[in-house]
Amino acid sequence: MAAETGAPPAELVISGWAVSSPYGLGRAAFAGGLASGRRAIAPLDGADWPVPYEEAGLIPGFDIKAVLGRKGTRSMDRVTGIAATTVGMLLEEYGTGLAADPESTGLVLGTSGSVQSIMDFTRDALTGDKPYLVDPARFPNTVMNCPTGQSAIRHTLKGPNVTVSGGAATALLSLQYASRLLRGGHGRALLAGAAEEFSVQRARLERVADHGGAAPQPLGEGAALFLLQDAADARESGRPVLATVLGSRFRAFQDTARAGTALERCVADVLAAAGATPDDVELIAPGTPPGLLGKQEESALDGLTGNRLPVRSLVGDAGAASAAFQLAAVLAEAEADPRLVDRLTLVTAVDRDGTAGALLLRLA
Amino acid sequence: MTTQIPALDETEQGQIKDIVCDILELELDEVTDTSLFKEEHDADSLRTIEILASLERTFGITLKQSELSRMVNLAGVYAVVAEAKAQ
Repeated sequence: MAAETGAPPAELVISGWAVSSPYGLGRAAFAGGLASGRRAIAPLDGADWPVPYEEAGLIPGFDIKAVLGRKGTRSMDRVTGIAATTVGMLLEEYGTGLAADPESTGLVLGTSGSVQSIMDFTRDALTGDKPYLVDPARFPNTVMNCPTGQSAIRHTLKGPNVTVSGGAATALLSLQYASRLLRGGHGRALLAGAAEEFSVQRARLERVADHGGAAPQPLGEGAALFLLQDAADARESGRPVLATVLGSRFRAFQDTARAGTALERCVADVLAAAGATPDDVELIAPGTPPGLLGKQEESALDGLTGNRLPVRSLVGDAGAASAAFQLAAVLAEAEADPRLVDRLTLVTAVDRDGTAGALLLRLA
Repeated sequence: MTTQIPALDETEQGQIKDIVCDILELELDEVTDTSLFKEEHDADSLRTIEILASLERTFGITLKQSELSRMVNLAGVYAVVAEAKAQ
């Protein structure tokens, strides 16, 4: 149960982050890869991955048992392994003191679970000698909150445990949800972010999905998680303040042709609420989806002169983890460029299912 | 009338041991015929159901859930599987 924490946090900050990406495990590989501009998308081995794609942004050599050990990993699926690994990295680097208060430390993870696990389990039930001759240990993988629950159990996070799903905007929605939990006093430190896996079934589905009238782009995978807490708590526990969360806004759109208008309103509203102007935004990490959706996003950001950070073109379409990679890229860039101190940054997403979102941060 | 239940051969016992060790995440030499799954190998109820389900699939047999109470160690599992195969 979440502990009562008294006064609501005055200022929510990001005080740590971790990433597993097509550049490898960890922040250094991610930051180095982005800085070099090297595309992290590689040819796929058709024997391992019978998919209608020639290349993808896989976490290089990711092997669940090698990373997490043999205990508790026998039936773990890929997205759960990626999530648990990334949570572990974040806690290892920034988790000092959090273990002392496990009930107030929680996880808000953006994921839609594993479509591969869902389809495998269903197929076993249909093709086995009897419908119930399935592997019961794989059943938990078929629900979307499996990665969130398993990660928290593995790392003893006893606070709120929430799974959020919202396509390309997922990570922005996760951060919004986590902010609300903290403001409501339902925890003192929350890990928020998103995770996605590459799989045969995801690839086959994405191949035939609508990509704004454009050809499908290579898929990516990975996870990025951010430690969210009150600024005073962060300083007290010796964690760095990396960025202050100024707010986020979301809008729904029915037709793709209205996505730009929806995003434009999100951006205008979140800037107005922070008392900022478009000129204050120094750095922008847009979702850059292909086709019409991408053009809509571009038009919405037309009035903003800040530098654009390319992410998707380098790591692929990371699905639910897309905006998490964009935010991670912003933090990596801020760490490398001291001129960004106290400057504003915007992370935006437009999802094909009709969600537009914008997150505004002040970098520290 | 008494029926003699044929004992499992070494291959079948080996198959069962592989299944149990895989599910309980143990090395083959960590388990003896009489070491207890729950008390000595940290098995919980989901693990024992997994063992039961895997045996059913592997041997094409049907095991009643009530047999779980006898499947506390390898010797118990061998006996339960031998009986189910004889039916």
